Formats: sequence, C-alpha cells, structure tokens
Amino acid sequence: MAPATMSLLGDYTNDFAFFPESASTFSADIDWVFYFISIVCLLFFIPIIVALFGFAWKYKKDKGLPAESQKDHNTTIELVWSIGPSFLLVVMFFFGARGYLSQRSIPEGAYEIGVKSMKWSWAMDYGNGVIHPELHVVVGEPTKLTMTSDDVIHSLYIPAFRVKKDVVPGRYNYMWFKATRPSEKVAKEELDRVTQRYKETGDAWDYDREQFTPDGYRFYDLYCTEYCGTSHSEMQTVVVVHETREELEAWIKKYSARPEGEEPAVYGQKLYERRGCKSCHSLDGSRMVGPSYQGSFGTMRQLADGESVRFDENYVRESILYPKAKVAAGYQPVMPSYKGQLSDDDVYSLVEFIKSLGDPSVVAAAEGDSEEGADETSAADGEGSAPAEEPATQDDAA
Amino acid sequence: MSAGSVPSGYEVSDPGFPTKEENYLTNSKGILSWMFTLDHKRIGMMYLVGVSVAFLVAGLLALGIRLHLLAPDGWLFNQSIFQWLAPEKAPNDIYNQVFTLHGAIMVFLFIIPSVPAALGNFLVPVMLGAKDVAFPRLNLSSFYLWVAGAVFFVMALLASGLDTGWTFYTPYSTTTDSSVILATTGAFILGFSSIFTGLNFIVTINTMRPPGMTWFRMPLFLWATYATSIIQVLATPVLGITLLLLIAERTMHIGIFDPEYNGDPVTFQHFFWFYSHPAVYIMILPAFGIISELISVHSHKRIFGYRFIAYSSIAIALLGFLVWGHHMFTAGMSQMTTIIFSALTFTVSVPSAIKVFNWLATMWKGSISLTTPMMYAISFIFLFTIGGLTGLHLGTLATDQHLHDTYFVVAHFHYVMVGGTLVAFLGGVFHWWPKMVGVMYSELGGRISAVLVFLGFNLTFLPQFVLGSRGMPRRYATYDPEFQSLHAMSTYGALLLGVGLFFALGVLIHSLLRGKRAPANPWGGATLEWNCTSPPPFYNFDRAPVVGDPYEFGDIVWDSVQERYVKIEPKREVVPETPAEQPAHAGGKDE
Repeated sequence: MAPATMSLLGDYTNDFAFFPESASTFSADIDWVFYFISIVCLLFFIPIIVALFGFAWKYKKDKGLPAESQKDHNTTIELVWSIGPSFLLVVMFFFGARGYLSQRSIPEGAYEIGVKSMKWSWAMDYGNGVIHPELHVVVGEPTKLTMTSDDVIHSLYIPAFRVKKDVVPGRYNYMWFKATRPSEKVAKEELDRVTQRYKETGDAWDYDREQFTPDGYRFYDLYCTEYCGTSHSEMQTVVVVHETREELEAWIKKYSARPEGEEPAVYGQKLYERRGCKSCHSLDGSRMVGPSYQGSFGTMRQLADGESVRFDENYVRESILYPKAKVAAGYQPVMPSYKGQLSDDDVYSLVEFIKSLGDPSVVAAAEGDSEEGADETSAADGEGSAPAEEPATQDDAA
Repeated sequence: MSAGSVPSGYEVSDPGFPTKEENYLTNSKGILSWMFTLDHKRIGMMYLVGVSVAFLVAGLLALGIRLHLLAPDGWLFNQSIFQWLAPEKAPNDIYNQVFTLHGAIMVFLFIIPSVPAALGNFLVPVMLGAKDVAFPRLNLSSFYLWVAGAVFFVMALLASGLDTGWTFYTPYSTTTDSSVILATTGAFILGFSSIFTGLNFIVTINTMRPPGMTWFRMPLFLWATYATSIIQVLATPVLGITLLLLIAERTMHIGIFDPEYNGDPVTFQHFFWFYSHPAVYIMILPAFGIISELISVHSHKRIFGYRFIAYSSIAIALLGFLVWGHHMFTAGMSQMTTIIFSALTFTVSVPSAIKVFNWLATMWKGSISLTTPMMYAISFIFLFTIGGLTGLHLGTLATDQHLHDTYFVVAHFHYVMVGGTLVAFLGGVFHWWPKMVGVMYSELGGRISAVLVFLGFNLTFLPQFVLGSRGMPRRYATYDPEFQSLHAMSTYGALLLGVGLFFALGVLIHSLLRGKRAPANPWGGATLEWNCTSPPPFYNFDRAPVVGDPYEFGDIVWDSVQERYVKIEPKREVVPETPAEQPAHAGGKDE
C-alpha cells in the first residue's frame, strides 16, 4: 500500500532513514499508517508554524501601540476547528485498530515456537528439547510465539517485523507474524574464515561485528524493550528467516543434542554461549553480574550466608538447577533456574566445560573427592528429587 | 492615541514602589521569618528555589545519560573515575540508576510542583485580589512535606540507589535490592504535598474570589490551576495506595503484584497509570494557563475563545482519567479494552488542539512585543504542537505496536514535558520575575536564553523520533552501532540545551545584582497582580480590589518616560484625598 517512493526512506544503510528494513507482512501496513498520520500532522503543523512565526513578525509593534483588533471570539470558526479535525482522528483510529486486530488474530495452524525470557537472555523452544537463543522461522509461513518470563517483565520486539509484545511472568502472551524476506547466507569461505578466527581467540560470537550468525545467516535484530535491569540493553538476539521448512528443520536438528563424538567440554562451551550463561559469567576472570568461571573449579567458594562450599561437579549442577540455594558471596541471587530446560547431558557438558577452565592441578585433586558425588547426582535426578526445596530458596531473592 | 502618551481628560493610576516595610521580601528579617512564614508569596519563593535545585540535579543527571550514550558501548560511566567512585557497580548499573533518578526527580520533585506550587502559590491569591490562600498553614506544611519527600529521595540515593525506572514496575521493583522502599516512601509523602496544594487552591478559588470576579471573569491561569487541583486531589491518593501495596508486598510478601506470590504484575501498571496518566495533565495544564496569560498580555489583545480555553482545561482534566490504558498497549490487555483505550486517547487531543488554535487567533492582529516571556511562549507553541501531534502516532494502535517503548516515546513526552511544561515554566518565571523580586532582567540576555533553549532542545529530541521509528529501544545503556550518529547529535543538543538553561539562570542572577527596579506593570497586563506594587506588599492589597475584565487592555497605556505601563481612568471632578495616599486603585473606573 505504501507509495513506492516512501520505501526509499526505509533503507537501513542510511543513517537517517525513518524505518528499519521491512521484513514481515505487517511492515508495509504499519509504515503506511505511520506515513498517513505524519502527513496529516504536517498538514496541521506547517500552517500552525507559518501562522505562529508569521503573526509574530507581522504584528510585532512598538510598545504602546494598540492592537488592530480586540476580537475575542467567533463561534463558527471555533466550532469548525474543534470538530473538524475529529473526523481525521476517527480515520486514524480506524486504521490503527484494523492493523492492531490483524496482529492479534492468530491464524490457525501457525508454526509454534515457545519463548522464555529471563534476565538477560532469550530461550526459544523448538520442541523436542531444542532450545536456542536465536529465533528461526520460515519465510511466508505464519509463526506464533507463546511467551512467558521466568523473572521480571520483558518485551519481545523485532523492529524489522514491526511487532512487539510484553513477556510477563505468570501468564502467556502471544504474538504472530509472517516473515517476507529470507535471510541471506554469507559465502562459505567468509564463514569459515571468521569461524576459524573465533576458534583461535576463544571469544564469544559478536553478532554486531560480524553481522551474521555462527551458522552463516544474515539476521534481523530482536530486542528486549521492557526495562529489566543491569544487562537490559544487552538482552538482544537475532531472527533468521529460512527459505523453506526443510531448511529450518535441518537447522533445528543440528542443535537437537550433542553431536556424535563431540567432546562434552566443547559442547558445553556452545551451551555456555547459546543458553545465556555468557551474559553474566565471564571466562577471563572479569567480574560481571555473576562470578567468572575462570580458575574456579576445585577451589573453595565463599557463600553469601557465610558458609563455604567446594566448587565441584555437585555445586555446578546444583547452581544451574537451583541457583538461589548457594549464592556466592558478593553477588545477588538473580540467576534463573534452568531446571527442566537442560537435559542431563547438557548439564554434564556444562560441568565438563567449567571443569576445563579450572586450574588443572586443583581440578585433578578435586576429581578424586567428588567422583562418587557425581554419580549420586545423576541418580538423584532420575528419581526427580531436588537437593533443596525450591520455594524455600526463593526467599533469598527478596 | 500615539505611543507613550496619556490622552487628555484622563489621569494615571499607578501604585508606585513598595516601601521596605511593605515589601513582602523585606518586611521581616532572618531565616526563621522565612522558615515559619505563612505568606503564600514567601512559600512560593521557597518552592521556586527548591524545585530549581531539584531541576538542576535532575538536569545534570540527564547530561550524564546523554554523555554515556555518546558511544555504542557507553562512554561516560565507563571512565575509570566511576570505577573508583562505585567499585561495586558496572557501568550499566550506574546508567540505570542515573536514568531512574533523572526521571523520578524530574517528575516528583520538579515538574509536578513547578508551576502549581512555585508560581501558583505566588500568583493564585494575588490574581484573586486576596491576602493569602484559604489555608496558609496547610500551605506551609505542603512545602515541608515536599522537603521531607526530597530527603527520602536523597536517602535512597545514598543508601543503595534506585534502579527501577521512575515507574517502579513490578515484579522488578519487588525483587531488586535497590532502595525501593525509601524512594516510594518519598513519592508517597510528595503525593500528600501535592494533595495539600490542590485542596488549598480549590477552596481558595471557590471561596475567595473578589466581588465582580465571576467564574468566567477569572484569569485563565486560575482556570488551569483549578483543573490541575481537581486532578491532584482525585488521582494522587491512588498513587499513595499503590505505593503502599508495593511496600507491603516487598516487606511482607503479600501476593498482589508479584507472580511469585500469585500476584499479577500488570495490575500494578493499571494502578500506577491510573494516577500517573492524569499526573501528565497535572504537569501540562498549568503550563497551558501560563501560555494563555503570556500570549494575551504580550500581544496586548483579548484572549481569543476564553470559554473554549476554560472548558477545554476542565475537559482535559476529566478525559485524562480515562486514558491510562494507552501505556499498556503491548502488555497483553484484551483486544476490546485496548481498542476502547485507543479511542478515548484520541478524544484528549481535541481540547489540546483547541488551545493552540486559540493562542494563534489571539496573536492575530495583536500588538506583539517580542519580549523574553513572549519568545518562550512562541517556543512553547512550536514544541508543544510537535509533542501533541506525535502523540497521534502513539495513540494509533497499529503504529504503537512498533513505537511503544522506543525513543519515539522518549522524544514525544520530552516535547510535551520539557518543550511544553519546562518552557512554559521558564516563560512564566521571566514574565512574573519583576513581580516576584521587583527587578527587571536584561531583555537581550533573556531572549538569547530563549533561542538557545529552543535550538538545544530541538537538536536533542528531534533525532530521537528517528531513533525510535528505526527501532531503538528506550532505557538502553548500550546500543547497536548503527544508531550512533543520531545519538551523538542528541548529546550535542543536550549540551547546548544545558548552556541555554545556565544562561537563563545567569540572566536572572544578574538581575538580582544589577537589575533596574521593576514598575508595577512592566508588560501591560490587566490581571490583578499587575495592580499591586512590584514586589507586592505583605498583604497584597490594602482593600479588596473591584474586578474588571482580566483581558481588557483598552485602559492600559505605555508611559515611555518611566518605562512602565499604567492604567488610565477618566479624571474625576472631585479629588477627595491626595493621590500619594491612595495606593492600589484597581478597576477604578467602575467606582
């Protein structure tokens, strides 16, 4: 519906464009309404400003000269400018409500993805235990997001799709959209080159710098737009639009479990980057919202309640599943629980990854003590019993 | 009649200057005479100093925000001095506390009390020809409640800061470890300060209007103040209740808002905005009142559409209660509720537009003096028009889905709150400054400040509209590099705005030291405050003035010799007393 010339304004490469690129069926409709309102506003604004400055210039007089007129009312003109613009308001309201209803009417049979938000990461649930921070959808296929939050209110916003919805704890909010432009894939040589570089430095993937995902897709930004604390502005992820359903399913399969033959510690690092650990825990010893993993494994850890505990497999596992049970001294109990969101193998891989970051001599010494404990843990998990009662530990947060 | 002459057959009525004993500023001395004063003018001046300090603090915090956003990964709070000042806090945490305090201080300590409590306290009784407000002791206690509220905010800042945003959204505010209870207690106390002021004005305007001042012969500033007071009295208690519930939940874990205790976090938003949306009109309505006075006086022309302006203030006050839901268009309300709130939101735009048209019609064929207050008033109309029109993009549901919680919203409400209320407040301060302190400021300096504020403001906030429509979320300590050029523009604008505001402060301070003595009526105003001396005597008027039309400029002429406006009246046959002993003749021609 938008006039062709206006789409020129929506060029993302231009620093001063009005809109980000448009990549969903909603974009064109919403942009059109935006331009319509803007033009109506200009039709009012320009005459108002011309009159404002024009009168100030034309009727500027020396002190003491009386005004040319003392006319102080004209009922006709006052009624015209009071009632006249109302008709335009009705038109705006109508287009606004129509666009809104189309965003709220979720088509039957839409492709469903679960969304869970937590401080400060996103977990997109593709079913069968595949959870990944990136949102992957198929072009031309209606996609429905069922969203809830683990802690405070967040809000999921995809500027290129012109959609936004708060993600509220204790209830499900829904959103749907239909993507219209598939993400490009970068050339394999470039992807390999960059992947190699990250492998050498060991850094976490920098989406802003590379402008494509570790799988080589260009992407659309996804922001959190409800203020949620320290790393609110880093609570971003990306949206990738696949050409076909098969391509999406292949991508999902790639992340369904630890690939055959991959070292648990290597896979653990991937989980660390993918599942939100890295937004609070550094690998280089620097202090973030949570303690760094570097050199921790095997050491004694001071807790907030004055106790201390050995940083071993059991402690890592408990901290992932019941993070508020034993909080490190000097840190706030803000980590969400990953219970039910990570498989046993995932937790195992993370433990192995964190172990690989510890001082080798300390790790070796700790290994002997806790081997027995590690077995107990996996047995306990099978029975579904918890090392600590969750509600009791929640009090630490308040 | 030519400029600067008194026609023959008329005589001049001018109250002259107050003696030291009459002048309310000098009639009693010492700090205690101020602290325990019941004089509405002194209370107004104390408020003026108080809100100006709050504005200075919150304004410096705003500069901190803008300087941090110079670079995508943040700039200011990444500097090593902040690690030394607050070693426990990450740059993001400092940023979050700074924007929270900027908003909370600006809203609760500056904008809400700025016009009603500072200017209103000074002007309402004088405009009514009265000696004081109806309840002078309540008035003083309202000031001390303001001080107490401010102390709680300072304590919150010193304890562990506040990082919830000024909106205190749950469950973030029930789970964060920052000083939420101290700050909400402060806001609770400030609410009472606001209620006391509103109650006082309602009673004062209802019962203390002088003979001849019917409702429709009241200056429009009083109409605006009256409408504001109604909102203050009706809406503020809801904020108080909400904040108490929040405190109860935090301390006793009663499940109201936090889903962890089976509460509903969106309920808090309903409660909060049921007050805070009408509060937006507490902030802007008095500004409308100021602008109506300024435009009319400095155009020396009757206000156009008096009744429409008066009724539109009341309409805004009432409709303002019905639109709070537009703050929750993306929170997941039912479709029907959302659509109804959108429709109601559009209705508020009508009375606001009426006022703009009426101000322009007042300027038409006027005799406009481009004084400092008039330049601020023109600046207000320009900026408020932008603020109002961009509200349409947000009231429209489809576009709001994209723009909600982005910089577009930030720009929109700053155009209304800063471009509107702050600019009107400054215009009002410059307009009534000669009356309040009895000296004239440098006109050139005042005009330069108006231009600097106008340019700086636009440079700060126009780029933010584009940032918002391009998808930049608000309350971000860091951002994607593609937004940097617009953020940098905004920061340079904020610095220019800061220069303009300090320049305005300098002009006013200079006037206190070097300013010429102000005449009773420097601008040619027809409302009652221009009938008493500058500054007014302690009792404002020796006897209750008889009131004429507040916008009748026909009998006010410019006296170019003494640089003042004077009221002329037909020479009387018999002069019973010597003119020197006959002060403050108001509306004498009716006698």
